[in-house]
Amino acid sequence: MKLKNLLALLVTLLLALAIILTLNNNTLFPAFGDVDLADRVSGQYLDSAQIDEIGAANIVTAIVVGFRGFDTLGEVTVLFISSLGVALLFGASRKQKRLDADFSPNFMLRVGSRVLFGVILTVGLYIILHGHLTPGGGFPGGTMIASAILLLYLADDQFRAKIKGFKILESASGSLYVVIGLLGLVLATYFLQNFLPAGTVGNLLSAGIFPILYILIGLKVGSEISGIIDNFLTEEDAK
Amino acid sequence: MSAVLLIAVPLLAAFLSILSKKIAPYLLLAAALFNIVILFFLPEGFVIIGGFVQPLGINLLFDPFAKIALFLVNGLVLVIAFLNLKAFAGFASILLVALAGLNGLVLTNDLFNLFVFLEIAGIAGYLISVSNKKPVHTFHYVVLGAIGSSLYLFGLIILYAMFGTLNMVGMIEMIETGGNYADLILPFVLMFIGLGVEAKLLPFNSWVKGVLGKSNTMSGPMIASVYAAAIAFVLGRLINNLFQFEGPLLTVVLVILATGIVLGETMAFASTKAREILLYSAVAQASLIALLFVNGVVIWAVFLIVANALSKTVMFLVINKAAGDTGSDDVNDLQGLFAKNVLVGIAFTLAALSVMGMPLLVGFVIKLNFLTALAAANQIAFVAIILIASLVEGIYFIRLLVKLWYRGDKDLDVKYGLSFKIVFVVIATALLVFGTYSAPLNQLDNGVDTIAEVINNG
Amino acid sequence: MIQYAAIVIFVLGLYGILVNRNVIKMIVSLNVMEIGLNLFIISIGFIYDGIAPIITSTEAAGALIYVDPLPQALVLTAIVIGVGTTALALAVAKSIHRVHGTFDLNEVGDLQ
Repeated sequence: MKLKNLLALLVTLLLALAIILTLNNNTLFPAFGDVDLADRVSGQYLDSAQIDEIGAANIVTAIVVGFRGFDTLGEVTVLFISSLGVALLFGASRKQKRLDADFSPNFMLRVGSRVLFGVILTVGLYIILHGHLTPGGGFPGGTMIASAILLLYLADDQFRAKIKGFKILESASGSLYVVIGLLGLVLATYFLQNFLPAGTVGNLLSAGIFPILYILIGLKVGSEISGIIDNFLTEEDAK
Repeated sequence: MSAVLLIAVPLLAAFLSILSKKIAPYLLLAAALFNIVILFFLPEGFVIIGGFVQPLGINLLFDPFAKIALFLVNGLVLVIAFLNLKAFAGFASILLVALAGLNGLVLTNDLFNLFVFLEIAGIAGYLISVSNKKPVHTFHYVVLGAIGSSLYLFGLIILYAMFGTLNMVGMIEMIETGGNYADLILPFVLMFIGLGVEAKLLPFNSWVKGVLGKSNTMSGPMIASVYAAAIAFVLGRLINNLFQFEGPLLTVVLVILATGIVLGETMAFASTKAREILLYSAVAQASLIALLFVNGVVIWAVFLIVANALSKTVMFLVINKAAGDTGSDDVNDLQGLFAKNVLVGIAFTLAALSVMGMPLLVGFVIKLNFLTALAAANQIAFVAIILIASLVEGIYFIRLLVKLWYRGDKDLDVKYGLSFKIVFVVIATALLVFGTYSAPLNQLDNGVDTIAEVINNG
Repeated sequence: MIQYAAIVIFVLGLYGILVNRNVIKMIVSLNVMEIGLNLFIISIGFIYDGIAPIITSTEAAGALIYVDPLPQALVLTAIVIGVGTTALALAVAKSIHRVHGTFDLNEVGDLQ
């Protein structure tokens, strides 16, 4: 083995051993599964009075879009800037055409994708809309929509989605997210405060601004990942 | 009027700016200007987001420490954006996101929010380095940055498992009442390494030579001054309040930082390329600032960050413009640069003298004060190391200045526009003014970082 | 158990980044490292006999034991950030191929 590889192996083994040994000897670090939620912040998240006030049945959604909605805004910004970066690196200056690949889609792929496209799109939309009631939400739903678009790309050699429309969708949903936050600042007192009524837990129309935010996030994620896919699968038009 | 506008407005401008490439640079200038204007009117204190009191939600802390950092960051971004309006117009959206990310980094009071903003600013930084057109160096930066952030998150999760909260003030309070320091060594080390990658501390800074060594008038000042300043402020706040190194960990950290200073200055001395000299000097200064924070010399470390950011902006702008125009940054190729650009040369000389710590400039006042504070804390070894490092620094800066002033065989044709000259004159004058009339500096003290005060008052 | 496995995966990914010289393999190792990290974060939240933190019945919330929802929210954010970084790294890799003609960092040679 080369010396550099040996050194890297040693360093990583030492790191793993150090982490495992220190955590085993750590009095405050709880054993696996042996956690008392009252010691943590989550005990307050799961309090029934708190749940009724927020109105969302899915507590993880309540955290992601409600309590820690600012982190989600940051995460949406990370995806935004990654998609911007991919577009920058591929230099969309001249007209683009589809990448010349060595394979061409066969019959199964072409027909099957038309059937699956509708199904995947519907499932994605369902997951986005029910983010506050069942597991899922904007992020998985948006990715499903993007994978439906990817299927269309794979199934047809010459297909290109409307990139201009995606860009406008991305910009609009991002700006709307920040505008809703600012509306919270103006109408209530704090940025991203919930200014719509909470409703009853378990209904589709509950939890104030959460469904709206998740729809915006789902659209943004879907359009951004589709944009990234398009960037990777095109190249400059030689003519 | 809430401090969250400092983050929300650049973000909104960034989302809107991709619709039209032409107005994007003006949105950038408008957002930076708006931030600077409202900084004068914002009330100090905690800013709650979403209406959920801590520890349920996230909050921001806007205290004098953050205020100084925000003025510096927003002001420098405004200046750099204005100077590069034509040359790098396509990067306006990225600079807007970088602005929002850096503001968030300095303001936040929640450790996971710090991670998210660290990633935002980090990815914006990778994209800013793309403008150098050296993809291998950018790739190196991306991989190292991703490893650093993952290590930071790992340390943070261990802290959450131990104490059950992600709020910075809440975590500090719980550590003070219930923490056994031996348990805390691992998460603190992981978090320190994570932030150290972005902060250019040795030995995690192998990306610096590639990214800054080939930088241009936008990426150079942004990464060397603005990013360095913001990360130094964040690292300082964490070192001062959360980490509070003690025992054997303190010794190890001090040794690493002192080695960083010595190695940085040595490599600057050994280099023959102007950009490399500047970036190794920046590396040494970053380790010096961290060393000061570890020793509790808070206010002079803050002033050092500000002075360094201003000086490095001037120096990187001068050298990078010359390197861009002549195609090489070897010191011999840049000989006689100032023979025709006298005003620029004077500004560069003043900035270099300030970094070295010559009298009449603000660098001298700062150096004198922090060396006194270190000596008062019985850290004579570090005083000696810093003095020797300053000597080496003096030698290579004077060598660089001599080469750049005296005309060589060829005549260089580098022109600096009027806006460049105005910026240089303003910054150099500020360095001179505060060097001779330094009373305003003495009015602030270590109390700018109010977290300790908040915890003591309950 | 799972926490040991998560730490081992994390360290394996780190080893992969340090040792590999092919850019695509480095990106894959980076993803492996992030998977290990995300597994570790989720494992922090597990409680024996706990159910998913979704209100599905009108029973008093105090009678049921839920697992910790906060690490799940943190992992959601971490996964998305990982996706963003991977997309960017792949674009940079394609850019390396365009400029140097290879994905192997050893062949790119000394850059000055």
